[in-house]
Amino acid sequence: MHEVGIAASILDAVRIETARHAPARVVKVGVRIGQMAGIDRDSLAFSFEVLLPDSGLAPLELAVETGTADELEFCYLELEIP
Amino acid sequence: MTRVPMERKVLNENELVAAELRADFARHGVFAVNLIGSPGSGKTALLERTLARFDAGRRVAVLTGDIQTDADAVRLARYGFPVRQISTAGACHLDARMVRRGLEGWDLAALDLLFIENVGNLVCPTSYDLGEAKKIVLLSVTEGEEKPLKYPGIFFKSELMVLSKVDLLPYVPFRVDDARANANVTHPGIEIIEVSCTTGSGIDSWLEWVDRQMSAVLPILSVL
Repeated sequence: MHEVGIAASILDAVRIETARHAPARVVKVGVRIGQMAGIDRDSLAFSFEVLLPDSGLAPLELAVETGTADELEFCYLELEIP
Repeated sequence: MTRVPMERKVLNENELVAAELRADFARHGVFAVNLIGSPGSGKTALLERTLARFDAGRRVAVLTGDIQTDADAVRLARYGFPVRQISTAGACHLDARMVRRGLEGWDLAALDLLFIENVGNLVCPTSYDLGEAKKIVLLSVTEGEEKPLKYPGIFFKSELMVLSKVDLLPYVPFRVDDARANANVTHPGIEIIEVSCTTGSGIDSWLEWVDRQMSAVLPILSVL
C-alpha cells in the first residue's frame, strides 16, 4: 500500500506550493502516472481521500493522467486567486 | 481559476536522496543492485548461493529489507561479509532514506559490490529509486508464468529476470516459454537467467552476469 506514501508526498508538495502562491489557494493538483509505474490509481485516490481532511488543504481535487511508461510526476496546479 | 505547470517528480525527496546515493556509489566505485521479488521467490537463497561462491577477499556487502525480523541478515551473515538488516516496521518497500541509514558506518571505499534485497513485494518497491545501478526481478516457478503481465512495472524497470526454483519444474504447472514470452511483452529484450539455489544450476550464469555488469557499469560511473 505504498500509495499512502505517494498520496502523502503529493499533499506535502501541494502544501509547499500553497505557501509559495499565497494568497492563492490550490484547488486541484494534476499528476501523471505511467502504466508501468506500479501504482494503483484507485488505491491512490482512496489514500488521498483519507489523508486530505487532516492536511489543511481541503477541498482539493486530485486529477490523474495516464502516462505510457513509468512516470510519477506532477503536471500542474490549479489556483483559485482571491 | 489559474493553471500553473508543476514539473517535478512526486517522490522528489526520495529521488534527491537516491541521487545522492548514486553519486556516492559512483565516487567509490560501488556497483549497487536492487533485488526485487515476491515473498518466497528466493531472493535470500540467491544471495546465500552468491556469497558462498565469493572468496573471502571479495569486497561485497548486503543490505536486506524486511517488514519485521532480522532472519535474512542472520542467514546471510554466516558467509562472513558485511550484512545489515533494514526493518521497515510495516512499510512494504525500501526507500532511499532507509538505504542511506542502512549504510551508516560502512566505508563505501572498501566495497565494490552492494546487494540491496528489497522487501518481498512485486509492486511497491517499483516506485522507489534506491540509487542502484540495476534492478533485478526474481520470479519463481511456483508463482505462475503470468506475473510479468500482472505486475508489469517491475519487469519493465528491471534489467534482468532471474527465474528461480527451476528444480521444481517437474512438479509445478509452470510453462517457462510462456514466462519468457510474457516478460518480453512487458520488457522486450529483458535478460533472463534460470537458476536453482537448491541444485546450483544457473548460478554460474548469474555470477557471470553480475561480473559482466560490474565491468560495464563501473568505468562509466567513475567518470560521472
